Amino acid sequence: MNWGQLAITVVTVVSILGVLTLVLNMQYGHAGMINFGVVAYFAVGAYAYVLVTQAPPSEASLDQYVIGLGLPPWAGLIGAALAGLVFAAITGWPTLRLRGEYLALTTFAFAEVFHSFIVNEQRFANGTRGLVGVPRPYRETLDFVDYDIVLAIGALVFLIVVYVIFERIVKSPYGRALEALRDDELALITSGKRSRRFRMEIFLFTAPFAGMAGAFYVWYTTLVIPDLFTAEVTFIVWIALVLGGEGSNRGALIGITLVTLFEELVRAIPFSTIRAAQVAAELEVAALGLLLIIFLRWQPFAAWTKAPKRVARS
Amino acid sequence: MAELLRIESVSKRFGGLQAVDQCSFSVNRGSLVGLIGPNGAGKSTLFNLVSGLHGPEAGSIRLESDELVGRAPHEIAGLGLARTFQTPRSFSTLSCLENLLASVPSRGEQITSAILGTYRAGERESIAAARQHLELVGLQGRADDRADELSGGELRMLEVARQLMRDPKILLLDEPTAGVTPTLQVRLTEALKQLHAGGLTVIVVEHNLGFLLNLVERVVVMVKGRVLTQGEPGSIRSDPEVINAYLGRRGGDAA
Repeated sequence: MNWGQLAITVVTVVSILGVLTLVLNMQYGHAGMINFGVVAYFAVGAYAYVLVTQAPPSEASLDQYVIGLGLPPWAGLIGAALAGLVFAAITGWPTLRLRGEYLALTTFAFAEVFHSFIVNEQRFANGTRGLVGVPRPYRETLDFVDYDIVLAIGALVFLIVVYVIFERIVKSPYGRALEALRDDELALITSGKRSRRFRMEIFLFTAPFAGMAGAFYVWYTTLVIPDLFTAEVTFIVWIALVLGGEGSNRGALIGITLVTLFEELVRAIPFSTIRAAQVAAELEVAALGLLLIIFLRWQPFAAWTKAPKRVARS
Repeated sequence: MAELLRIESVSKRFGGLQAVDQCSFSVNRGSLVGLIGPNGAGKSTLFNLVSGLHGPEAGSIRLESDELVGRAPHEIAGLGLARTFQTPRSFSTLSCLENLLASVPSRGEQITSAILGTYRAGERESIAAARQHLELVGLQGRADDRADELSGGELRMLEVARQLMRDPKILLLDEPTAGVTPTLQVRLTEALKQLHAGGLTVIVVEHNLGFLLNLVERVVVMVKGRVLTQGEPGSIRSDPEVINAYLGRRGGDAA
């Protein structure tokens, strides 16, 4: 087992999925909005990045996609953020009036609709075949270092920036208003505050970060196929958030680190037969469920992830 | 005295139940009014209509020159109307101090200001005001405790303080003494008298008539969604119609 490579992979994946977990923590942990369609905002960003950066379709190839703007990677990253924003606006406008489980169902449905769209619409991004061999940005300029390390550092910096921004919001009166909204919407409304404004705003504000995480994911995998963006991503992020303790950004990061470490360690085990690998893959899911139960029952990291008090400093 | 709140021919029906029926009365600026009536008389529904949680089928509700019917609850609150609920509402995971802070507008509720941290000066003022309000209701010792650690009576006091934070023109209290210890009741009476002296207009729905009749200047009696009668506490106490409809045969202690 190559421990160095494993560490680089874990840092990269934790950073990318960590951003998704932080986004979900803002939406659910702080504002109380159940989003079961996390993967869609991530996928929209990944696909937008590819559509913006890939070359226009050529007659000679077997590609079926019709959009390819051929713009540089930074434009792709902006495109990913914008795609997240637009998708959040489209899905948020009709759904954010809904509460609790109704919101959960509609966000899940939106994500499934998008997944179905990318599977079936060949002209969008080649359908199930997807787009492979997406060039990694500035690969040639950076050929004097290990690109995997550069990407890991880049993703980590992205994660830290998102963490700092979200922490500042959480610790401000804005975060307080979100938690007030989560605790008792009626009490907030009768205090003269428009709860819908906060819901919509935090939904729209956080979604672009999920979109940008999608672009980072493309740089990591160099491909976009519908199979990468199934509801499983949503559930992994949810498990991570519940593990770490919703309502705490630090907890969200601890959660996703544990889940990713576990998954990558299992993946790194050298299996001698395909059958063994298949059994391990099934056991992995079961073990993850068991881990979740253990954490919910004993809350081993509760002391690390307690949300800090805001006012005590005054 | 100038009229502050005017309720005119307001009606609200829930299915087959006419909860509020052509109800009309008005409240003068700076007055302390009690609203009584048997269970189901429509008192709480009337509060919900005034604060915009329900829309009436007919009628008009005016706060000064502003029509409240058709406005969203947060707008009505913004016009200077504050209310408490029969079951007290609070932001359970926030501290008592934060409960009060979350009830006033803050610059830090803009995302950019929150990220840049340009709200701190205003925040310091709000914290000072919040501490004063906690003291007013006797909760100064619990400023940093979470709201879900409070007793039922303390929660009511917290709700009152939270609503007062906004410096409202009128405060509607829905059964403020239910579940509140006698000590806190005395404290609440004192606080209300102090606020009243400061010019705040208050309407109190209350079943504890001993508390109410000693506190208010005028009483409005509702029965079956209508105003039965209104007048000074002394005359209400002896009004045969009121005794019949509400107080029962024993007179003064029917709550």
